[in-house]
Amino acid sequence: MNNFGVIEIASTTTKSTPGWAYVPDTAPALPAAVHSTSRKRAARNQPALTLSDLSAREETRIRKELEALDRDNPKDVNIPIPPRPGGGSRAQNKHTPNVRKILQSQKSFANHLDDYQAMLALAESNPAAAAALNAAQAKPSTPTTAVSKSASPAPTPASAGGASKRSAAAAKRAAAKEKQEQERKKAQHTPKPETESEKLGSTPPQQAPQRQQQEGDNDVEMSDATASTAQPPPTAPAAQISYPRVSAILPAYAKPPPAAHPGDADPLLVSRVPAFPSDDELRALMTAPPLSYLEARGAWGEEERRYPVRVFCAVCGYWGRVKCMKCGTRVCALDCLEAHREECVTRYGL
Amino acid sequence: MPASRKSRATGPPPPSTTLVLDNGADTIKAGFVTGGKADDAPRIIPNCLARDRHRKTYVGSELEKCRDFGEMAFRRPVEKGFIVNWEAQKEIWDREFFDENAPQKCDPSEARLVLAEQPNGLPALQTHCDQMVFEEFGFASYYRGIGPSFNAYRDIQAIFHTPRTPDTPVDVPAEVILLIDSGYSHTTVTPILQGRPLHPAIRRLDVGGKFMTNYLTRLLSVRHFDMRNETFIANEMKEAVCYVSLDFKGDLEKTWKGTRGERREDFVSGAGIAKDYVLPDSHTTFHGVVRDYDPGGASSRGRKAAVSTEDVLTLRNERFVVPELLFNPSDVGLSQPGLADLVMQSLSVLPIGLWPGLLANIVVVGGNARLENFIQRLQMELLERVPDECVVRVACPENPVISTWLGAANFARHEHVERLAVTKQEYEEYGAGWVARRFSAGLGVDT
Repeated sequence: MNNFGVIEIASTTTKSTPGWAYVPDTAPALPAAVHSTSRKRAARNQPALTLSDLSAREETRIRKELEALDRDNPKDVNIPIPPRPGGGSRAQNKHTPNVRKILQSQKSFANHLDDYQAMLALAESNPAAAAALNAAQAKPSTPTTAVSKSASPAPTPASAGGASKRSAAAAKRAAAKEKQEQERKKAQHTPKPETESEKLGSTPPQQAPQRQQQEGDNDVEMSDATASTAQPPPTAPAAQISYPRVSAILPAYAKPPPAAHPGDADPLLVSRVPAFPSDDELRALMTAPPLSYLEARGAWGEEERRYPVRVFCAVCGYWGRVKCMKCGTRVCALDCLEAHREECVTRYGL
Repeated sequence: MPASRKSRATGPPPPSTTLVLDNGADTIKAGFVTGGKADDAPRIIPNCLARDRHRKTYVGSELEKCRDFGEMAFRRPVEKGFIVNWEAQKEIWDREFFDENAPQKCDPSEARLVLAEQPNGLPALQTHCDQMVFEEFGFASYYRGIGPSFNAYRDIQAIFHTPRTPDTPVDVPAEVILLIDSGYSHTTVTPILQGRPLHPAIRRLDVGGKFMTNYLTRLLSVRHFDMRNETFIANEMKEAVCYVSLDFKGDLEKTWKGTRGERREDFVSGAGIAKDYVLPDSHTTFHGVVRDYDPGGASSRGRKAAVSTEDVLTLRNERFVVPELLFNPSDVGLSQPGLADLVMQSLSVLPIGLWPGLLANIVVVGGNARLENFIQRLQMELLERVPDECVVRVACPENPVISTWLGAANFARHEHVERLAVTKQEYEEYGAGWVARRFSAGLGVDT
């Protein structure tokens, strides 16, 4: 083709000048990855709505409905405190300034929650100011909340992730791994001294209760027992380490074990017990500071987000198999669609 | 902290009377522990100011005198499980405990208060609570602890009916339990070791009794009558007819009326699911009545209706769709995991070695535990999610509503209370901040 000697070179540089410019589009369009500075453009670049995506209107509707479900009364009511039947004597009591402030406060829980979030935000952006504010207000437990916000090892629910049916599979895999580990131990019959001694910690292995364990019964507890013999053995074969292991926090099971069963040695029937956490781990868990109100809220993990939610007929409550073409409401079949149309027409017109 | 212990040793002896309060959003559970002896059961007081359609206001237990609950409006001092409006709460407490002719008269200056609160409270609200208790009511001694952990002071293995010999000592507090508290405002999952809650693993689902009642109200308003102002009646209906489905798909199929012109056998006969609910008429009857579904349908009802003017609702999938929200909150668009997934989220931050113990000791308390099949469904869903080797036992105490109170009453007699409670002198000396830190630190680890 005759291009009059002009050779087009694909440029990859972009200039950030005011106004607008053509920018070479060298990559395949990945709308999700486009981090546009303009929110409008980001919204426009979204891919076409899929079935699981909700339009803004639907989202607003759902949010409003949830708020309505969370209310104590359908309408705002103002019920004043009625006068006492016998004439209030306590009412004339003098209140301390704190009490007066609390009694007169008309804040709702949402207000308090907003205050708390604002305080946290301030503490993050400007610790000094927050500390001064705390000192001024003498808000008491902010030290603990500050700890839980910054230094606590406690994972937030979001990072804790979702554990659903799918992640149960992950849990099972983890357990299976544990199982393999123990089987390997059993096969080797060689304890791992460093990990075991670490787990046992500084507490000396306590004299485990006398348990009439059958010789040759090689279930998992046996593998623990062999592991423990690496320690200064209490009394060699008769003593049996118990489950959970020596722990000052959760004492060992002190009763005789259930009677032996011929199937105990069967590798298919053996029950395997995951390693018990060390005392240090337990101590850290038990003394961890409380999470904040928002952190404790159960949140969707990756797993829950991946699958579409169930939809129901807005009229009768059966599965929502059909969508109204006008407003997108789900209904189950023609009868319900007609019932819905009447409402839809009055709301949105023909 | 050692300093405080020393001061307690020299201080006055602890008061012999303890007022144990489980101050719920819907009802207060209140009772006394005197000299090591607790009341058999707490008094259950509605925690609200209620106004009926004649604009008469009822405070707390006065609600018993109310007969007609139509168009009842409520003002609740507790929001989301936390005491927010102290003006109303003080009025209710005054009338129930501190007035001269109060039904449960108590002299705060010679009593200890053990108050159960929800986990993960806001610090500002906790401070308000401490300040009110000491500065306004003037209790001599006080402990504010999270409600779920009080349950550990009950005889947990009796709830599970664990076989054991009568001379077996009862572990108090229980070594390890996973407590699910499903109340009016929300549902919480709390793993507890030796009476100490494992704070990093506490999770909350914002679906509670109120949420479900409002959902039932909405469904009925769309399908039958406008019930939006009849929260109380809808709540009674929910308690009477709702159940947790063990086979949601199957039950939903049975209650479907079918496509146009279709006569589905299950729908016509009701399939054992449909129930008739007779609404109160506010003249002769004031509480609804559940009846078996009358497949005769409109014709026979029409004949009856000619004689009596009762309003009958036929409830079909409303019966199990409403409690289903606990297990699938996304059905109404709430982006939170269901209860079984929430338990798994809670477990996922704990070492796997604790799972067997926790899963084998799941206790469900709170009013929603009364829903039929609740624990069966939870057990079923958990079994799908946990490793095969884990034993899953889910149990619900005989009366799940007062379980936290009973635990707190046991706690008030346990030696732990002496280690945890704060006296008025200590409050005056060290201030509210110190008290809040002390309560949030809890028992510590050493037994």
